[in-house]
This record gives sequence, C-alpha cells and structure tokens, in this order.
Amino acid sequence: MAVWACRSRRKSGTACAVLLIAAILAAVPSAPAALRNIVIDPGHGGLDVGAKGKFGSHEKDVTLAVSLKLKTLIEKTMSCRVIMTRDKDFDVSLENRAAVANNNNAQLFISIHANGSVRNKAHGAETFFMNVNASDEETRKLAYLENTSGELDKRIPDEAQDEVKMILWDMAQTAYVRQSQRLAEMIQEEINAALKIENRGIKQAGFKVLQGVACPAVLVEIAFISNAEEERKLNDEYFQNHVAEALHRGLVRYLKLFPQK
Amino acid sequence: MPKSTRAVLIPILAVAVVGLAVFFFLSDNRESIKKARPGAGPTAEEGTSPADSRPKRTVNLLFLRDESDALIPEAREIVADPSSPAFEAREILGELLKGSQSGLLSTVPPETKLIQVYITKDGTAYVDFSREFADRHPSGSNAEIATIYAVVDSLAYNLKSVKKVCLLVDGEERETLAGHIAINHPILPDFSMIAAD
Repeated sequence: MAVWACRSRRKSGTACAVLLIAAILAAVPSAPAALRNIVIDPGHGGLDVGAKGKFGSHEKDVTLAVSLKLKTLIEKTMSCRVIMTRDKDFDVSLENRAAVANNNNAQLFISIHANGSVRNKAHGAETFFMNVNASDEETRKLAYLENTSGELDKRIPDEAQDEVKMILWDMAQTAYVRQSQRLAEMIQEEINAALKIENRGIKQAGFKVLQGVACPAVLVEIAFISNAEEERKLNDEYFQNHVAEALHRGLVRYLKLFPQK
Repeated sequence: MPKSTRAVLIPILAVAVVGLAVFFFLSDNRESIKKARPGAGPTAEEGTSPADSRPKRTVNLLFLRDESDALIPEAREIVADPSSPAFEAREILGELLKGSQSGLLSTVPPETKLIQVYITKDGTAYVDFSREFADRHPSGSNAEIATIYAVVDSLAYNLKSVKKVCLLVDGEERETLAGHIAINHPILPDFSMIAAD
C-alpha cells in the first residue's frame, strides 16, 4: 500500500478518500458498541411439530415458551439485541434459521429443543455443538478454513460460482466449532447446577440448523418430551423459567469470557 | 335280483367308485403338496431354512436397550457372498429391519422397507429406504442419532468395504431424518456409539 501510494499522489489521494469512507461506514454500525446480537431459535413450528409426548405435548410449543422467557431475561439484564427466528407458531426452514443469524451479524446463536427417544427411560438435558462429520480430504479443507479468519464472506472470490458459496455457507459453522464447544460447556454446567440432574454432558451431532451459522452456536435439548415425567415438567411454567435462567447464566458467562465474536 | 334293480345299482356303484377314486387322488395330492412345501421353502425364501446350503457368516446388528444410549450388538446369521458387499449389505439391513430377536429396541420405524443398496468404489454405501423410514420416525435428536448410527454402524462394522453411508428416502435425498440431524451428506461411522463389552 505504501509503495503504491508513493508512485502516484493522485492515486494515494483517492485511496485515502476510499479509506476514509470505509472507516465512516465501518464506524456507523459499530456506534452502539456494547450492543451485541443474540439469535434465539425456538425449534420447529407450524406444521413441523417436532417430537411428541405421550400426553400430546409438541416439541414446538415448549421450545417457543422457553425461548420467549430467555428473550425477556436477556433484554432485562444485558445490553444485547435479541432476534428470534420465530416468535409465534409458524414454519421456518432450517436454512432460514441460520440465515437470520448471519444476516443480523449475530454474536451467538442458541437453538432450543426438547428431546425424543425410543427409550422410555431416556431423560436429562443435553447441549450439542456441531459435529464436523467429514472425510480425510474434507477435514483438510475444513482445517484450512478454521485456521484462517472466521469471516467467510470475504474469502469468497467475486468470480466464485454459486456452488462454492453454497459449500462455504454449508460449512460456516466449522470455523466456530471450538468457541461453540466452550459455549456448550458453560450452558450445560449451568443447566446441571440448576436442575440437579444427571450430567448427560456436551455432545456433538450433525444438526442441520447449526451447519450454516457463522458464529458460535449451540443446540440445547432441555428435557425428553418422550419421557412422561419430563413431558409434565416441560409444560410447567416454573420449570421453563428455571431452564431459561440457567441458559441465561451460561450466555452471560460466555460473553464475559469472549466479549468479541 | 330283478333286472330293473340291477339297472339302477350299476350306475350308482360306478359313480361311487369314480367318486372314491377322485377323493383318494385329491387327498393324496393335497398331502404331497403339503410335503413339498418345506422342501420348496429355502429356494423361495432366502436364508431362513437350515436346509439352505449357501455359505453363512455371522454379523452384528445394532439395537438399543432401555437403559442407555449405547448401541447393543446382536449376532445374526446372513447368507455370505464375499464377492458382493452390496448383497451382504442388503442381507444385513434386511435383518436389521426385522428387529431384535432378544427383546432389544429397534431404532428404525417397523413399517420401513429396504428399497435398494449400492456401494461405490470409494466405499460409499447408498442405502435407499421406503418413505416410512423418515415419515414414521418419532422425531427427536436422541431418536434420530440412534437410527442413523444403528444403520451406518451396522453396515460399516460388518463390511470392511463400507467407509461411509448415504441415506436416501424413497430414492431422494432429505435434509434431515426427522427435523434434526442432517442426512444430506455421506455419514461416517462412529463406533464409539456401540456399547463396550
């Protein structure tokens, strides 16, 4: 840049103007510096009811109830903007849920679900982060992505084909897997402490909704709707508040540790 | 005996003799059909009769116990064909779909049918299940993970040539199995899902 600026005064003048405009543009969105965007994703919705309980509860309803409680807690206590992928009972595609996070420049993405199992005895809370289920060749490509900067968009050349963009979009979460793991650990610790339940620990799985999210992202299974006892709890206002508070504490701890994205 | 009586008796006797002959013929035939059945069985129904002389091998199919998330192996005999991993893959999945013989829980909806299995040279098994595999699935992360790895690991654990598995539903790729876990990419086996002895 300096070498190039020395060659032509006129060019360097233009460059300075461009830099100045860029600086102003960059400054505008970051003016409310403390404001961070958290995306809450209540699982399922609309025709997609998710897992079903024996007494007729639907996963989509309990996920929305807990999500709305978490939103209220965050807005009350943190200088964060909360964006919901849905705030009512309607369908949202899994890709659009990731897009809500990316288009709003989210710092955190938390997807809330209720678990279902063919085992009647299955119970407890689990926090997941994305499993990079990749072959050796793919792992090498992913390692490259992970070691370079997290801003995927800037690394897609203009001339890149749509297909390449789609692949990068599809793998966006791979750049944040380590941070997502830390977030998952903190949330799970808070849930275990709050509910005094068996520690099912943090897990990795190939959740479609997490794949395209370009920020630390986790999916919390708050309890098993397929377990009669836990289905009753999931519909209980006190339990819902208790879980929302634990999730909130986990988010606060994480954001203190990693103030930046 | 008057002539008129004889004229009546002869046709009656004749009918009786023919009738008895037909009865014995039919009953004998019926019995022979019954006898023929067990012998015809093995050729009609693959691999179920002890009379089947084709070579066998023991495989481990994966099911669940109510107590834990770990997949539990159940030994089963299938017809062996070392020259055709796809044939053995079909045998393995056919047995998996039949469910456990020792009271373990099946992870696959009972209505599911296997449509086809192909294995490519790079070791990707393409498994095509009927739509019930996804549409009758109870949904839920835990249930979906169990189903996916019961299928993927049952294949990869028993067939060296299978390195990863692509799950298709009625010939088509689905985004997820039942709303949670992605199945639009080939899935690598994860043997840590299987219970340690």
